[in-house]
Amino acid sequence: MLIGIDVGGTTTDAVLIDEGKVINTSKVPTDHDHLLECLMSALDEIVRDISPKKIERVVLSTTLITNLIAEGKTDPVALIIEPGPGMNPEGYTLGYEVHIIRGAIDYRGREIQPLDESQVKNVAAKISERGYRKVAVVSKFGQRNHSHEEKMREIVQKASPDSQVEMGHQASGRLNFPRRAATTMLKVAAQDRYREFADQIAQAVSKRNIKAPIYILKADGGTLPLDTSVEYPVETIFSGPAASTMGVLALTPPGQTSVVVDIGGTTTDLALILDGVPLMSSDGAKVNSYLTHIRAFAVKSVALGGDSRVRADGDEIALGPERAGPAYCLGGPEPTPTDAMRLLNMISIGERVLAEEAMAKLGRNLGCSAGEAAQKVVDVAVDKLLREINGMFLAWEQEPAYRVWEILQKEEIRPQNVVGVGGGSLGLVPLVAERLNARGIIPENATVANAIGAAVARPTLTLTFRADTERGFYTVAEDGTSGEIKDRKFGQKEAEAMAKKLIVKLAERMGIKEYASEAEVTHSEVFNMVRGWSTSGRILDVSMQIPAGLITEWTGGGR
Amino acid sequence: MANLREENKERARKMGLIFFPAFDWAITPTHPEREERLLYTRDQIFEEGLMDLPEVEEYKPRLAELKDIARVHFCIPSVESLVTEAHLIAAGSTLVLADAYMNKKITNAFALVRPPGHHSMRVAHGNRGFCNVNNEAIMVEYIRRKYGIRRVAIIDTDVHHGDGTQEIFYHDPDVLFISFHQDGRTLYPGSGFVDEQGGPKAIGRTINIPLPPETPDEGILYVLEELVLPILKDFRPQLVVNSAGQDNHYTDPLANMRFSAQGYAKLNEMLAPDIAVLEGGYAIETALPYVNTGIILAMAGLDYSNVREPDFVPGKFQMSRTMEANIVGTVEYLQGIWEARDELTATAVERAGPFFRRRKDIFYDTDGIREKQTESVKMCPDKNCSGYMTIDTDAARGYGASESGFGVFVPLFACKRCREEAREEYEAHKIDSRYNYVFFQDKNSDNLRLYSTRMHNEQVY
Repeated sequence: MLIGIDVGGTTTDAVLIDEGKVINTSKVPTDHDHLLECLMSALDEIVRDISPKKIERVVLSTTLITNLIAEGKTDPVALIIEPGPGMNPEGYTLGYEVHIIRGAIDYRGREIQPLDESQVKNVAAKISERGYRKVAVVSKFGQRNHSHEEKMREIVQKASPDSQVEMGHQASGRLNFPRRAATTMLKVAAQDRYREFADQIAQAVSKRNIKAPIYILKADGGTLPLDTSVEYPVETIFSGPAASTMGVLALTPPGQTSVVVDIGGTTTDLALILDGVPLMSSDGAKVNSYLTHIRAFAVKSVALGGDSRVRADGDEIALGPERAGPAYCLGGPEPTPTDAMRLLNMISIGERVLAEEAMAKLGRNLGCSAGEAAQKVVDVAVDKLLREINGMFLAWEQEPAYRVWEILQKEEIRPQNVVGVGGGSLGLVPLVAERLNARGIIPENATVANAIGAAVARPTLTLTFRADTERGFYTVAEDGTSGEIKDRKFGQKEAEAMAKKLIVKLAERMGIKEYASEAEVTHSEVFNMVRGWSTSGRILDVSMQIPAGLITEWTGGGR
Repeated sequence: MANLREENKERARKMGLIFFPAFDWAITPTHPEREERLLYTRDQIFEEGLMDLPEVEEYKPRLAELKDIARVHFCIPSVESLVTEAHLIAAGSTLVLADAYMNKKITNAFALVRPPGHHSMRVAHGNRGFCNVNNEAIMVEYIRRKYGIRRVAIIDTDVHHGDGTQEIFYHDPDVLFISFHQDGRTLYPGSGFVDEQGGPKAIGRTINIPLPPETPDEGILYVLEELVLPILKDFRPQLVVNSAGQDNHYTDPLANMRFSAQGYAKLNEMLAPDIAVLEGGYAIETALPYVNTGIILAMAGLDYSNVREPDFVPGKFQMSRTMEANIVGTVEYLQGIWEARDELTATAVERAGPFFRRRKDIFYDTDGIREKQTESVKMCPDKNCSGYMTIDTDAARGYGASESGFGVFVPLFACKRCREEAREEYEAHKIDSRYNYVFFQDKNSDNLRLYSTRMHNEQVY
């Protein structure tokens, strides 16, 4: 049996799955100050009368980190950066305690200016004195040469032995120094709080005699074992939309192109599944005001939900963005899209009489009947969703590309399905689908699709391998692994073989080695380095990944 | 139309950027124009996070249409056979940015793309100076056609003389072409001297500023300040294009100048081009990552003072007295030409008679082609018409057989008479067996036709 729990902004949803069937679900209100209790009460409700031995897998998706960061409840971090030549580092917005150190490394990992160690010592003493115990040290191009980051860490730790120092290359090895600095800072800021939470969960689950492995869902739709996840606390951010998207993936036929429409009370999250693969955001996620390297699905949040307040603005309809309460037909104070849909018999929740009253009131301001007003509200809502959906496809088509073949191959794709999930009223989904010439689908258990998605998501993993044979070394972007390459003839075949070996090792370290065989090469490229008209070496780039997908145990839904 | 340049000065800076390194395209594996050229530039600008800046908007390239190429070039044997997809994407990138700029989505733009184009001339038999088709010319004619702009200035800041762009606009009084470069006596393509000043009807609209080898920042910025900017102020262009080579850099392996990343950033800040298009620059590690970061920051209106090459210190290069005197002399001479351009034009037109004719020998270094041309321009009595042109071309590839062609070109703002006569010339030459290809390019009506006398078929672009 599989368990999935998604702690959302409003409710915490849980499902119990047995042999591809959802056999129990629960929904409890989310209490942000007592997340653990919410999780456990949602869990207890679905496992009542079930022997703990039968449970094989528990997956959690939580808003913990999202909330901690949003509310500024993470630990204060001092940032020491070595920016080298380029943009003026004073222009970065990376928090209050940022220190800029002299020294530089270039794009190929060569030291172009030695690290000013005495400056680091002074800074280390100063931040220690100010009481900082969390420090991030980040060099521009530090992922291609770790020595300066390592030296900085050593100096800081010497000055303040009880401090925790995180290095940029271990947070991310991808290009983009400001994002790496922000990611490193958030990682070290959130780690302790996250670890406490993970420990509490492990204890609470074990108290219930559940021995099954516990996983955490990440923003890229993949799962991580709970104990490994403490190394990657920030990756658990925004797992809610990822859970819904994985749910849709589980509940629709494989290999199709779908728009995921997750309608809540005040917002609708849109996501895309292209040929059976959820679309990733090409850049990392934005966390509060920080741009990061955290991989996440491309999710568009639209200020439109079942409870959005509807008003007349002249003879136009103004939708949202705020919520005045529940829908009028459910006893709320103001007209909402839910009332419009109720009056038009598109949904059956709430009192029709109240819905009519709400729409009649709106109609008076617009100079039309209640029915006409309801139709207008629905039209405006559908138009708004369509605009956003088309914008997402367009944005995908317009993503920059750096190779001739990429420009030539990208074709126009339009969805086969529009899939409605979530707690809000789903009456708009068939209308949106019709306008897109697609099939409208509201799957069984649509209101807990997020929890289903969590329950059946498999781990994801990426590995970006880069070798510079002229300089004789390789690096792995994700975890900063590096090593020597002595073979001057090291070519594409060798690079791919090495990347495959490294991803197996990485999977082992992450506690997901049974999925390592799912890894595929997504990109492999060689640049011959020519110096003085002859080849002096090669730069080899190989990307591998275990893409977001479903565990093989899942046999239900659209499978 | 209102002057977009003036309007943009008032608006918040938003630079459009296309980075198209063509990581899967090379002339040959070891050629300077190879996959690796912008690899380290990619690393640097991505690591800087420049694409995340609110002042920078990254765009996706598209393919230019064959028609866009034919609007500028007489390609022999055809547009399709002369360009690869990479060429169409490099040219197409400039068109994407041109549209975004003209539609006011951005305030200026940089096409950081390869392959380059500024050595490609009106007639194109193959690759010369690493260029097949002229990206800037294709963009300028696209913009003038689509948006009705007339006066354009192209400033060629590549270390090599922009001979292709010069040749394409040589007779067009509405396109000001200014090139500063290392003296042609010391560098490819061996042209770009002060006496190349434009056709009889466009004297002074071509300005060549040959600079002595080893000219540092100081010298180049002096030329900009004293000569280029004042001329631009007089000319009042509706669009300024920087044909932005990066091989004036002090580490460039193919040239001998002493320009720095700071110098390049400063140049772009002072020149304030509406659209910059990458040309040459082959110091792929020591210059390009820093120069491009500097240019992007300068064009985005951001602080570039922290951009420097690892071995650069201010004052690294000094200008000698002789060099200074040389540059000041060139600048003063060209100031005189610019001042006297109207009289010089009148004299030149009078001297030319009904048709201006010149013979040209053109060498295609990359493809080993020798071309002989006779160019003939009608000295149209209509003051607003620059007159139609014909080119008789014959090109021998290596030791092989030669390809010949006859091209008829009608400028964008041509009079009715010139358009009719040009059409007659085209029709008459379609049965002239001396030529393998006959080409008709009427920019006024966007009528572009290539006729093969061997196959007896006409292709309309």
